Amino acid sequence: MTTNYKLERLNAGRDYIAANYQAPLSLSGMAEYSYMSPHHFLRVFKDTYGETPNEFLIRLRVEKAKKMLITENMSVSEICEEVGYISLGSFSSLFLKQVGMAPTLYRRKLWALSTEAYRFPSQAIPACYAYHFLGNKG
Amino acid sequence: MITSIAHTTIYVLNQDEALDFYKNKLGFEIGDDMKMEGDFRWLTVYPKSKPQLQLVLAEPKEGPMFTKDSAEKIRSLIEEGAFGAGVFETENCQKTYDELVAKGVEFIQPPVEQLYGVEAMGIDNSGNWFSLVQRANQI
Repeated sequence: MTTNYKLERLNAGRDYIAANYQAPLSLSGMAEYSYMSPHHFLRVFKDTYGETPNEFLIRLRVEKAKKMLITENMSVSEICEEVGYISLGSFSSLFLKQVGMAPTLYRRKLWALSTEAYRFPSQAIPACYAYHFLGNKG
Repeated sequence: MITSIAHTTIYVLNQDEALDFYKNKLGFEIGDDMKMEGDFRWLTVYPKSKPQLQLVLAEPKEGPMFTKDSAEKIRSLIEEGAFGAGVFETENCQKTYDELVAKGVEFIQPPVEQLYGVEAMGIDNSGNWFSLVQRANQI
């Protein structure tokens, strides 16, 4: 069983991940904050929290991306970078695996469920239509 | 290289009524139905088997591209039946025709054999003509 001292160190590592999820994080970098070897950190983290540090990191990033897809007028590429991914392909694959649908489809589905009062920005539709109907030249 | 068409526009007189027609009569699915800035409604539908092609059901209204006069002219032309919505394909023209007639869809030509297949011509509830075609290689 994890002792209180060990748990505090582990929590410090977990907090470090949560505070820096947008940055490129390595296992050794995460483990440093818990004063553990990478292998030990990985094993204790999984035993304690039920997921590996990397799984925790992915979950944080995907949850943040889900929120941004609905609330921010940013492209999927911009959101991908904002939550710490360089490759749009990797981000989309991870998102699909975690959520069950691609980021764009997720955004569209949530938009479709939105309340009557909400007005979507012109960036939400193809630019030629936005220009045609809304006068937005992008 | 252009690989496909993603969106094309059908101008309609009333989006609610058009949605009822394309969804409940023709059996299309709703793609997007979003309220936009300036009270513009972005409404798309697609045939169940082809989600890649979204038909934008748009009302001609005064705005950035249409003057009030132009919008009224377009509405008038739609009502006159001056526009075509496109060609919708089916595996069995006669069967689909019978189903749509039973649902109250108006046709101006029953299924007839053409060089390219069997074709019926219908009209949506705004006045847009459409062809219902069974391709020749399916006969």
